[in-house]
Amino acid sequence: MTESIAAVPVERPAAAHWLLQLRRAFNANATSWVGLVVFLVIVALALLAPLIAPYDPLDQDIISRLEGPSAAHWFGTDSYGRDTLSRLLWGARLSLVIGSVSILSAMLIGGTIGIVSGYVGGKFDLVVMQAMDVLLSFPSLIMGLMVVAMLGPSMGNLIIAIALTAIAPFARIARAPTIAVKERDYIEACRALGYSDLRIMAVHILPNIMAEILVMGSLWLATAIRTEASLSFIGLGVRPPVATWGGMIREGFENILDSAWLSIFPSLAILLVVFSLNMLGDGLRDAIDPKLRGGE
Amino acid sequence: MSAATEAPLLELDGLVTEFRTGGAWHAALRGVSFALARNETLALVGESGCGKSVTALSIMGLLPPANSRIAAGRIRFAGRDLVGLSEEAMRKLRGNEISMIFQEPMTSLNPVLTVGFQVAESLRYHRGMEGQAARRAALELLDQVKIPAAAQRFDDYPHQFSGGMRQRVMIAMALACRPKLLLADEPTTALDVTIQAQVLALLAELKSAYGMAMIFITHNLGVVASIADRVAVMYAGAIVETAAVDELFARPTHPYTEALLRTIPRVDEDSAGLAAIPGQVPPLSAMPPGCRFAPRCALREAECEATDPALAPLPAAADHRVRCRVRAPATAAPRHA
Repeated sequence: MTESIAAVPVERPAAAHWLLQLRRAFNANATSWVGLVVFLVIVALALLAPLIAPYDPLDQDIISRLEGPSAAHWFGTDSYGRDTLSRLLWGARLSLVIGSVSILSAMLIGGTIGIVSGYVGGKFDLVVMQAMDVLLSFPSLIMGLMVVAMLGPSMGNLIIAIALTAIAPFARIARAPTIAVKERDYIEACRALGYSDLRIMAVHILPNIMAEILVMGSLWLATAIRTEASLSFIGLGVRPPVATWGGMIREGFENILDSAWLSIFPSLAILLVVFSLNMLGDGLRDAIDPKLRGGE
Repeated sequence: MSAATEAPLLELDGLVTEFRTGGAWHAALRGVSFALARNETLALVGESGCGKSVTALSIMGLLPPANSRIAAGRIRFAGRDLVGLSEEAMRKLRGNEISMIFQEPMTSLNPVLTVGFQVAESLRYHRGMEGQAARRAALELLDQVKIPAAAQRFDDYPHQFSGGMRQRVMIAMALACRPKLLLADEPTTALDVTIQAQVLALLAELKSAYGMAMIFITHNLGVVASIADRVAVMYAGAIVETAAVDELFARPTHPYTEALLRTIPRVDEDSAGLAAIPGQVPPLSAMPPGCRFAPRCALREAECEATDPALAPLPAAADHRVRCRVRAPATAAPRHA
């Protein structure tokens, strides 16, 4: 895997610089590869759910309810006789969509706030960052609870709730390198060329800090999937009968003593996703250490 | 040259630029005046902290707004006063009609964007060029600044270029929109001597090809002799001597100019060490009341420390003006500005 990546010709790098930077980071750190591969497999399974799921996730088969793992139902069936494997695959779609949409929005909004705040500086920066600190002071689950309790449980509201908890961290992660980059000579040179502030931020600062934001994104995607599962578990997620991992754990919880697999399989799925994303993000973060970036 | 009859391209008139340090405003430029004709190269010379770069940044309108201001004076460029011009209007001038190149080629290019993109960007931004047209024009510029195999190197990143090549790229970027005025702030200081000579030759060539005026900031008098038409020697925020380049080297009159020339090591004389000017430029907040150079001056008289002399023409050459009451005694009238 590493070799095929290294074989890409370096003489004419057509890709954006932050992509190269990420690629170097991958090459430097094997755990990020493992994390990426595991995560991509999960994404592929989720995408292929309509094709590979053996049953309809909502089809009830009351005769064969609460069955253990078997050849017909690999991961067993739940109290309505629905196939756990099929529900797990379909649930992955929902978890990943909610997680990625909320984190992408948080990246966009938080990243913009951070860059603008760091670039403008002064009192504006102070006020904005204190507002972010207020947001940060809510633990993500509590924030999610508040928002969902106010707006009602639905997929859209879940996304809003999770995005709100992640905006402040992205603002912080974008602001710090912006402050460092805006003092560089090439930003002064941009001003001497008459470029507008908007252009300087979007074209000249953003690609410099993109790698940091993406690494943060992979770590926060794991958190988002966990938060989604937690909210579903306490009944504030997407409404049944739609399959979500958190909801499946909760449903399985009712029969935990005699049918433990109902909770165990979705829990393992969450564990696997969170673990793979953390491996990916941690590995990249180590590789994109600011100390290593100074020589460029 | 018909320049004398034309209105000057750039005219600074009593420019006072102040910085705020410790809650009080201190003048970094104390009434700088000069005029620059089209096609003319003026060298601003002086040691660190004498106001050369502040002059350039004042013209560009790039002083940090939080702790600096232009307190008095005018900067007339092509018939317009740049002092008090809106940021929007200044942005249209910068990189378009007035360009600037900086001292540090190694850090003045964005490391994450390709060289070609950065050269083309100015054309896209100021000239509204797009796609292939901008690329072709940028390639042409890279050819003009003599980047070898420019087409192959177009998509390279700055770290794949040497310092001299990067400075050529900076020049290409600055000249992309054919500015009327180029401010070169020590563009060769960070380069080694052979590269320095190449870059100077390139700048001189492009200047006459484009018909630009140039302000060349340096502390290297050797460079001045090879590139400038006129020289203004600055000390502590004021011009202390200005003359045509040959005149200045033939008859340096201000004691500071003399001392600067003495600091150039000569190959045809034996000497035990390098000549230096004792002391240093006084800090902004502790300027002496009289002649700013008096504390370091060998010709100092009691009167020098009390009154600040004005910049006045020498009797022999009207174009050669000096700010010294000892060397140009006719000009010793006290100034109450």
